[in-house]
Amino acid sequence: MPYPEQMVVPMRNELVEMGVQELRTVEEVDRFFEESKGTYLVLVNSVCGCAAGSARPAIGLAIQHPKRPRRIATVFAGQDLEATERVRNLIGDVPPSSPSVALMKDGELVHFVPRHLIEGRSAEGVALDLIDGFDKFCD
Amino acid sequence: MGTFHDTTDPLHGITVIAFAGDTVHVGRCHERDEQQIVLLDADEHTEGQDDRTVADYLDRASRFGVWKKHERLVLAVADVERLTPLSEYFRNGDKAPSTVVAQESPVEPAPTVESSAVADPTAPVNLTDSARGEVRRLLAQEENRGQGLRLGINGGGCSGLVYNVEFDRRKDGDIVVAEDGFDIYLDRKSTIYLRGVTLDYQQGLSGRGFQFQNPNASNTCGCGESFAV
Repeated sequence: MPYPEQMVVPMRNELVEMGVQELRTVEEVDRFFEESKGTYLVLVNSVCGCAAGSARPAIGLAIQHPKRPRRIATVFAGQDLEATERVRNLIGDVPPSSPSVALMKDGELVHFVPRHLIEGRSAEGVALDLIDGFDKFCD
Repeated sequence: MGTFHDTTDPLHGITVIAFAGDTVHVGRCHERDEQQIVLLDADEHTEGQDDRTVADYLDRASRFGVWKKHERLVLAVADVERLTPLSEYFRNGDKAPSTVVAQESPVEPAPTVESSAVADPTAPVNLTDSARGEVRRLLAQEENRGQGLRLGINGGGCSGLVYNVEFDRRKDGDIVVAEDGFDIYLDRKSTIYLRGVTLDYQQGLSGRGFQFQNPNASNTCGCGESFAV
């Protein structure tokens, strides 16, 4: 059951203020995936502490790296249920976890950071994982 | 909504592998005591199940996670040989440090090592005279000719980040710090963590070789190789 929307607004805004595109409906998810070429990243956001302390700040650090995906978006697990389910279907045969980060290239999942590689880690440590993926797959 | 975690167990909330004979259970560690371990959102795999070895299963699990089979899984401590964070298995495979089933002792901070030079907090990185001397000596060896000292950090280790020290050639994008007789190469992503850090060298029977002193580290593991900021 979703949390009251006013409680999660700051968790959404933190990413939006970084320039991350929110995808809140199935249609928005489909459009984002159809229009994206090259590399694009989707963060599955959540209300948990490791999203607040690690995943969201890690995105903020990682996108400062010179090599980065062309587009970055987010869906909110537990809040925008259908949009999140749609992303999970599109990234492939990967167990659902949140927070998690999927780096896509030309429609294929090329780098994935599941929840267990975020929980208990610093934002800087997670950012380094993302940057490793950016260096390997992004232009 | 139940987000307060009334526990000091370092494994609370961490996805772990519970090794129990030829079966592994993977789930988020919720609580444990002398009799039982409780995992949430758990899966399990037995050797040969679906024609997959446990090693194959854990390889995929460590990279992508697991499909939940149990909301809550209670394991008897007597049946569990060891617990390993799934993230550690991702980094180290079978060599991942195992966690004893009892709660661990707090990690002791690394001993402070005397520096023979005043560290400049604004410099990309600092070396003590002892470290410089040892680096020059090693770079003079035939196999290291033409190389410089590469310093960096990588994600991993028991505290989150690990230092990297090696002899290497300059690469595109490197930041170069000129020392007397050699160059230091830093990759851009590491510089934000190394600023103000001092590399020291302690020799002798009680010495520990190259050691990093990081004033920004909020936690350092006992071996001094891993740190968090």
